[in-house]
Amino acid sequence: MPSAREIITRFIESEGHRVDVAPVDPETGVGELLFRTRGQVFSVTTTEQDENAMSISTAYEIPDWARERHQNAEALERVHHEHPRVDFTLAHDGGLFVATLDEKAATPQELLNGFWTLVSRLRDAGTQAIEDIVDRTESKVAAEKFINSFMMGDQ
Amino acid sequence: MTDPLRPIEQALGDEGLFFTRDDDEDAYRVAFKSEGDRYFVVSYRDDPTFVMIGSGWALPGGADPIEAVDVANRLNVRKKFVKTALWQEESDVLFTVELCVGSASEIRPHFGRLLNVLRDTASEFFEQLRPEAPET
Repeated sequence: MPSAREIITRFIESEGHRVDVAPVDPETGVGELLFRTRGQVFSVTTTEQDENAMSISTAYEIPDWARERHQNAEALERVHHEHPRVDFTLAHDGGLFVATLDEKAATPQELLNGFWTLVSRLRDAGTQAIEDIVDRTESKVAAEKFINSFMMGDQ
Repeated sequence: MTDPLRPIEQALGDEGLFFTRDDDEDAYRVAFKSEGDRYFVVSYRDDPTFVMIGSGWALPGGADPIEAVDVANRLNVRKKFVKTALWQEESDVLFTVELCVGSASEIRPHFGRLLNVLRDTASEFFEQLRPEAPET
C-alpha cells in the first residue's frame, strides 16, 4: 500500500508540478516533498508514525529594514489570530518566517481533498503577514499613534 | 529553424511545471497544468511572432449566455493582457493572452505574471457568473 508521501507526490505531479522528494529520515520517519506554485516554494512534510497527517509550509523572507523581531512576532500573532489554522515561526534570526498549516484526515487519500485550497489559505495568510510586516514602518506606526491620540482629544 | 516556443518551455521550468508538446504542420503547441488546471501556448509556423497563452473552460450548466457575455465584456474592459471570449456555440469560455514578440524569450521573465492574470481572470469570471443566493 502506498504511503501518504507517495500518494501526495503522485497527486502534485498529476496536477502539473515537479516534486523534489527528500529521503525519509530513518530515525524520525519524517519525509519532505518540495514543489513550486505561483512563484513560491512549498514543503509538504509527512511522517511514517501518522500516515493520515501532513504539514504544508512555506517561507517568506523579511526585508533587512523590516527585521524588528519583537514587532514582527506581534504582527505574526495578529495574522495567526485571523488565520488560526496557520502557525507562524520566525527563523534565521528574524530574517524569515515560516507559515505552516497542519492537516489531518481519515486516510492518506483524503489528505488530497481540497489540497490546493489549503495551499491557497497558507499563501493568503503568508501574504497578509508579509504585507503587515512591510507596512509596519516607523512612520506609519507613528502616524497611527498620532491620529489615534488626536481622535481621542489628547492633541 | 529554431523552436520559437523553447523559451516558454524554459519559463515553465522556472515555474516548476511539467509540459507536453503537440506541434503539427501549422502550429507549435505547448500544453501544461498548474494546480490541476489546463493551459496551452500556441505559436503559428507562418507567424511565429504571435504567441497565445490560454485556458479553456466549459460554462457551468444553466449559465445564462447573455450574462456570460456581459461578464466577459466587463473583464475585457478592466483586465490587462487577458481577452475573455465565449465560443463553441457559447458553451465554453476561453481566456487568452495574445502577444506580438520578437522572440518568446521576451515572455519568459513575465510568464508567472501572465499565468497569474489568466488564473485570476478565470476565477473572477466564474465568481461573477455565479448566481446570487436568494435572500431569506
